[in-house]
Amino acid sequence: MQNSASTPFDRRRFLTSAAVAGATIVGASALGGLDPDAAFAAPMRPTDPAIAAADFAEGIITGVKGSTLHVHGSFGTDYLIRLTNATSVWKVHPTTAAAIETGDGMYARGVRMPDGTIAADAIWVNIVNITCKVRAITSDRVHLQHNQHTIVGRILTGTTVATYGHASATKDLSRLRVGQAVQVLGAWRPADGSVDVVRFSTGH
Amino acid sequence: MRNVLLLPELAPLALAVLLGWTGGAKLLGRHTARQAADTALARLLPGDRTAALALRAVGALELVLAAALLVVPPSSVTLWPVALWPVTLWPVTAAATAALGAGFAGYLAYAKVTAPQSSCGCASARHTPVTPRSFARAGLVVAGGAGCAAAQAPWWSAANHRPVAAAVVVIAFGVILVVTSSELDSRWLLPLRRARVRLFGHPLAGTAGEVPVAATVELLENSLAWQTMAPIVRSALADHWDSDGWRILRYSGVHTGADGPRPVSVVFALDANATLHTVTEPVIRVSVVDEESQQAIATPAAEVTRRPLLPMAAPGLAGA
Amino acid sequence: MPCGSTYLWKGMSTWFCCGGSWGPCGSAGGGACGTCQSASHMAAWPYLTSACFNITRPDECGEGLPERGCGYTVNVKHQCSGAKVCVTFADCGPNTHEFCGEEVCCNGSCRTNRIIDLTPSAFSAIGNLDSGSLPVYIYE
Repeated sequence: MQNSASTPFDRRRFLTSAAVAGATIVGASALGGLDPDAAFAAPMRPTDPAIAAADFAEGIITGVKGSTLHVHGSFGTDYLIRLTNATSVWKVHPTTAAAIETGDGMYARGVRMPDGTIAADAIWVNIVNITCKVRAITSDRVHLQHNQHTIVGRILTGTTVATYGHASATKDLSRLRVGQAVQVLGAWRPADGSVDVVRFSTGH
Repeated sequence: MRNVLLLPELAPLALAVLLGWTGGAKLLGRHTARQAADTALARLLPGDRTAALALRAVGALELVLAAALLVVPPSSVTLWPVALWPVTLWPVTAAATAALGAGFAGYLAYAKVTAPQSSCGCASARHTPVTPRSFARAGLVVAGGAGCAAAQAPWWSAANHRPVAAAVVVIAFGVILVVTSSELDSRWLLPLRRARVRLFGHPLAGTAGEVPVAATVELLENSLAWQTMAPIVRSALADHWDSDGWRILRYSGVHTGADGPRPVSVVFALDANATLHTVTEPVIRVSVVDEESQQAIATPAAEVTRRPLLPMAAPGLAGA
Repeated sequence: MPCGSTYLWKGMSTWFCCGGSWGPCGSAGGGACGTCQSASHMAAWPYLTSACFNITRPDECGEGLPERGCGYTVNVKHQCSGAKVCVTFADCGPNTHEFCGEEVCCNGSCRTNRIIDLTPSAFSAIGNLDSGSLPVYIYE
């Protein structure tokens, strides 16, 4: 494939062609998965000797300078996070570094560089995963109780999904019930403390 | 009885119920120490123990006032018990109640400004944030206390004389009390909301639509393709798009080949309409593209079709 | 032996934050053990103590998992990728009984019921935070 894509649209077209022409892997069955002792002994994710074990950073972003984030950690450590073309950025959905703002909270997985900075593989901005009780439902919000506090969960049309028990994720939110226990995966809004809900998960 | 509405006469009863409830919760509750630590009192006073003592003291005061509101008749009555009470006791009770309400309102304002996440600590050890309803209830105590001073008769006489009207007023007071007390919400507000959903339909009905990306990611993470490529993938989902019925999911990774580790994009192509429930054997196309040369790389994915199942574990070894 | 290879349990792992960091975690304390931090490899276990068990009630979902207290260490292995992380128990959770029947699968093999909660540091070592939950084996 000689096509070197220049614009984002070209790049996507190029990658689409590459993917569709790529190797086909069929199936969901590989290891039996029923014997955990065998699973423990099975080959693990091989670690590339050139890359150390994954490092982790969390905190509030205090500065964005080019592709470097200054992060004030919650537990006394401050971090310098370097973003690259290979870094995936999550803020409600997969996005780019341009969406990151000062005052956002974040978790990052990456690799510690010799200069002490962390080259991020993945960064999740403002991501929260909280267990709540549903207190009220309206057409664009779900009011949630989390640990004695009330949190407003905003429904994002086209983005918010629900997983009921073992069903696959669906955009159908009509099975949410007042009083129900739900797991809420979403993005915290620093300005008002509300949460943009990405996924509701319930037991059934 | 000249007062038609009975409001000043029955207000002491309503206030006695409110202050009896909140006072009892503060003075006699088992969790007062924890209740105090959660409130702005803990910030106002030195130490959690002092805050707890202060909360209990306020509770005791509320109980005393509740008792007074319940048994002391307005001073204009000439029934026989009035001889037992000093003439000034009723106005003092009314004024003290109004002052208590004003004190509550002031404390709530302080709490809202200095510790907005703190608990009211008013009637329950459960965390109850300071809301406009809290202020409304404090305002009602002020108004009730002031209104009591205009009472023409004790509440028991008023109820006796005009039982139906008294019942209506008492029920109205009860409703106001419940509506201004967020501590009681779980007993009536949540069941009401559930009933509303049942009667008028779910506000989020009709939100179902095409297969969301989250479902495609679930399908991918459930697949052999994902397990196969796990050693190469380093990032979370970096990008996704739909093209001609395919849903493309792109991740970043590192592939170690002959010339060392190189940054790559790992792209998966899945049927955009497939989910865990519509397919048991997902068909996934995978490609690994070198970021710098933009060339597709031959990877272990090319050789994998299906791995043999491991033999079943002996019973008792694998657990439940 | 801490973080050994003796099979202990299997099920779903979710993740949570603790230690009073940003967002809704700002009011979270150090967990039931007082030591929990989002930036450390730690976890919540449903049977940390009897008091904890009475809240999480994993038995209502049919999970008879054993009691393991604060400071206990286990290996948590992602069933699908094989990635593994050693965690220290620092909190009580998750509320298993409120999510009975919840399931996450990999390779056609499904894990039901949430039986461990990992800090963001631990969860991101074996999976992606936006996945929300993973099928795991636990070893002690």
